[in-house]
Amino acid sequence: MSASLSSIRYILNPVRLSGPLLDKELRVSSRRKRNYVLRFVYLILLTAFIVVVWRSEVMSQASTTFQKSRMAVAGRIIVSTIVMFQFAVTQLLAIIMLSTAISDEIYNKTLGLLMTTPISGFQIVLGKISSKLLQIVLLLAISLPLLAALRVFGGVPWDYVLSSFCITLTAAIFAGTLSLLFSISNRRAYVVIIKTVVSIGFLFGLVPAMLAALLLAPMRYASSVMNPFSTSLIFWHGLSHMSPYYAISRNTAALMSPGLPGGAFAFYWPLHCAFMLIVSALLIAISACFVRKVALRQATGQIEYAPRHKRLRRKAAFAEKTAIDAQSQGVIRRVKGWPVLWKDTRAPLIRGGEGKNSIIGLQLTVASMLLTYAMWAKAGCLNADFTHVIYTVLFVSIAVIFHIVLSASSITSEKESRSWPILLATSLGGWQILAGKAIAVARRCSVVWLLMAGHIVLFVLVGYIHPIVIVHLLMLVVWVTVFLTSSGLYFSSLCRRTTWAVVSTFGLAIALWIIAPVVLSLVGVASHNEKIGRTCMFANPAMQARVVVSGAVAGYGRHMRLSRMRFDWITEHHDVWSITVVLAITMLIYLTFGMLFAWRARRRLRRNVF
Amino acid sequence: MIRIENLTKDYGDLTAVENLNLTIKQGDIFGFIGPNGAGKTTTMRILVTLLEPTRGTAFIDGLDVTRHGKKVRRLVGYMPDFMGVYDDLKVFEYLEFFAAAFGIERQKRKSIVDGVLELTDLTSKQSVTVDSLSRGMQQRLGLARVLIHDPKVLILDEPASGLDPRARIEIRELLRELRRMGKTIMISSHILSELEEICDHVGIIEHGQMVFSGRLDEIRPHLGIQSKVRVKVAENRDTAVELLSALPSISKVEIVADYISVTFADGKECNGLIARTLVNADLDVVFLQPEQLKLDDAFLQLTKGIVH
Repeated sequence: MSASLSSIRYILNPVRLSGPLLDKELRVSSRRKRNYVLRFVYLILLTAFIVVVWRSEVMSQASTTFQKSRMAVAGRIIVSTIVMFQFAVTQLLAIIMLSTAISDEIYNKTLGLLMTTPISGFQIVLGKISSKLLQIVLLLAISLPLLAALRVFGGVPWDYVLSSFCITLTAAIFAGTLSLLFSISNRRAYVVIIKTVVSIGFLFGLVPAMLAALLLAPMRYASSVMNPFSTSLIFWHGLSHMSPYYAISRNTAALMSPGLPGGAFAFYWPLHCAFMLIVSALLIAISACFVRKVALRQATGQIEYAPRHKRLRRKAAFAEKTAIDAQSQGVIRRVKGWPVLWKDTRAPLIRGGEGKNSIIGLQLTVASMLLTYAMWAKAGCLNADFTHVIYTVLFVSIAVIFHIVLSASSITSEKESRSWPILLATSLGGWQILAGKAIAVARRCSVVWLLMAGHIVLFVLVGYIHPIVIVHLLMLVVWVTVFLTSSGLYFSSLCRRTTWAVVSTFGLAIALWIIAPVVLSLVGVASHNEKIGRTCMFANPAMQARVVVSGAVAGYGRHMRLSRMRFDWITEHHDVWSITVVLAITMLIYLTFGMLFAWRARRRLRRNVF
Repeated sequence: MIRIENLTKDYGDLTAVENLNLTIKQGDIFGFIGPNGAGKTTTMRILVTLLEPTRGTAFIDGLDVTRHGKKVRRLVGYMPDFMGVYDDLKVFEYLEFFAAAFGIERQKRKSIVDGVLELTDLTSKQSVTVDSLSRGMQQRLGLARVLIHDPKVLILDEPASGLDPRARIEIRELLRELRRMGKTIMISSHILSELEEICDHVGIIEHGQMVFSGRLDEIRPHLGIQSKVRVKVAENRDTAVELLSALPSISKVEIVADYISVTFADGKECNGLIARTLVNADLDVVFLQPEQLKLDDAFLQLTKGIVH
């Protein structure tokens, strides 16, 4: 009996499953001061947030009876905000932390070395995932006592804390495993991050949206509640169990409005978590198979991994190219203009297929946009303000991610490939290098802005959007580009590793555009000065995009007179002139800070070179 | 061409280079030798403006490296101990990129790149991607990159490390060619026998301090080692020993294996006297050769193998 127990214990031992890699990572991470600092700061921020919400919701009135009645509301607000924040941040962290998990091993040539030991591919993959996710689990775990303590406020049931923890964790595991899978075949961290974010957006955003538009007519929703076998019911039921985003929204909505009729839309979070874990396990299995192949290829002196059909195609292309090269110089491209700009913009945004993949990607995006236009038109809401707000906010969000990832990785990727000291040893000045890199980032991101411009101009011409939006969005694009590119370059010059540079830049954006507005809003409520929070929240580019587009559509489009336009921001109403002034002031502030970051980046350019 | 004065570089509590003084003349090949962690790479990085010294100064062609960084970088070609490659560039593009980075005009770039490709025998590889080159080829490409802006000074950190014997010989030949072109070369290596063959001067550094700097033939007196010659006679070896022991300028004569080792008393070699003495005594001299102190031996004697 004891022998069988010990054998089961041996098989299920997490250290055995993940091999010595987890042990190594645990040792290394325990020596890093920054991990302790990160956890400490995170806990301090959470505590401060709870205190601020508690003061604003509960202590704002002197009456004890009122205070008691507000405690449950405050508890629900705090818990749901923390849960949503953790849900977003843990996924982002998982994607970033695992974006170089395997590519680092491949290019440091340690993967082949690992495969000469009895460690299996499965152990390598699991060891990498578990070691990185452990940091995230620790962050989640340290917030649990706080969430548990909030139960004394009332209104927050245990099962919400538990279910949201499990949904967040399984979503982070899925995002992390997807990132690891991409890191096997992609060297650069930013490529992995963008591919993972786009894949998640496609799986949980575009596909459900298209299915919803195809399968459901918006007006049929009400009748479907009554019929448990209707298409819409099956769709929503399936979506809630397959999409973590829908699952967390549904879970939180149930907490905030306990009386909301569930009806036939029963949501079982363990089922959703089990589904996510099964999909993640499948991704791990695929990764383990690929890792072994990559390691074997590395052992025979081949670095890059590609599937067999791709290798055969490349071989044929190489033979053809060699024949051409024998007669001419082939596809050598001459350096034009600034050397750094030329080098950084030489490769297409989506690599592979000698530039064809980029064109295919662009064509697919345009086709998806046209398809969704058709769907909106069918639903009769192509001229509605929320339609254009969704598109604009989506483009702004994607552009923000592109700017952060590309700028934060532009210097660190050179440090990682050890070409940075060679570039610095040339006679190029600091500003020349920095400007080249900044323009390259802006140029690579311009494709997203151009798509947004295409959408806006099209509907301005159609007459659904007022042309003034072009001026407003142009201001937004300018400051987002300058501020994010400069801050990304600054963190890239500061950090040695791409992962940390990207995390730091994302951290700055989250702190400025999410944490600060929320905290200041709550402080404003507590101090009866709600304008602080509103003002700060308007600094968020997605919010600015929402306000200006919403005001420029508003059911009238281009036929509306400027003087009659109204831009609504929470409880404030602006006319076109005041919103333009506000946007101009925001732009100037961000441009100033952008320049400061650029100046600091220039100062730091020749530090941390090695 | 290169002058280092009281150069010190601290990394926190660790002193990597301490009061280093060095002068390298134009057209010299200077071998920089030292154990791992001795401070060679730090010194080289300061010279190419990638690091700032904590104290002291360094000059290249009279220009202070800390104050005239940009001008110094135009004068210097630096090859680090690692090959930093842009993996998506072809050989020609890689070299043209650096030509552009050094501000060479677009019209002149092609001929310059073609020239360095020819010099480094890489013309046939110009349309191959950089990361697909072998280690030896990458080192050659590194040298080609260093030469692209025709610098007066070349600073090469371990250029032959990890190369096979053929590739090492090729690199050595290339360096000799560069010396003929009048370049001043500072080179560090762990393969001491190679430095011995190409260097005019050597500097041995340990613990961040220069323990020897000068010509190779100056090492022996520096170490207090007396000059020796090896003599082999066809027969009557004992007679030869007696004759040589009687000479006043010789302090020690001993039989080692199948030859006689002769140590001079005052450090001055008098090979002619030895030859005359033996020939006058009708002894057949098979060979008479100076016993050279190898760089490896000097290195071992000068350094204690202490690593930071």
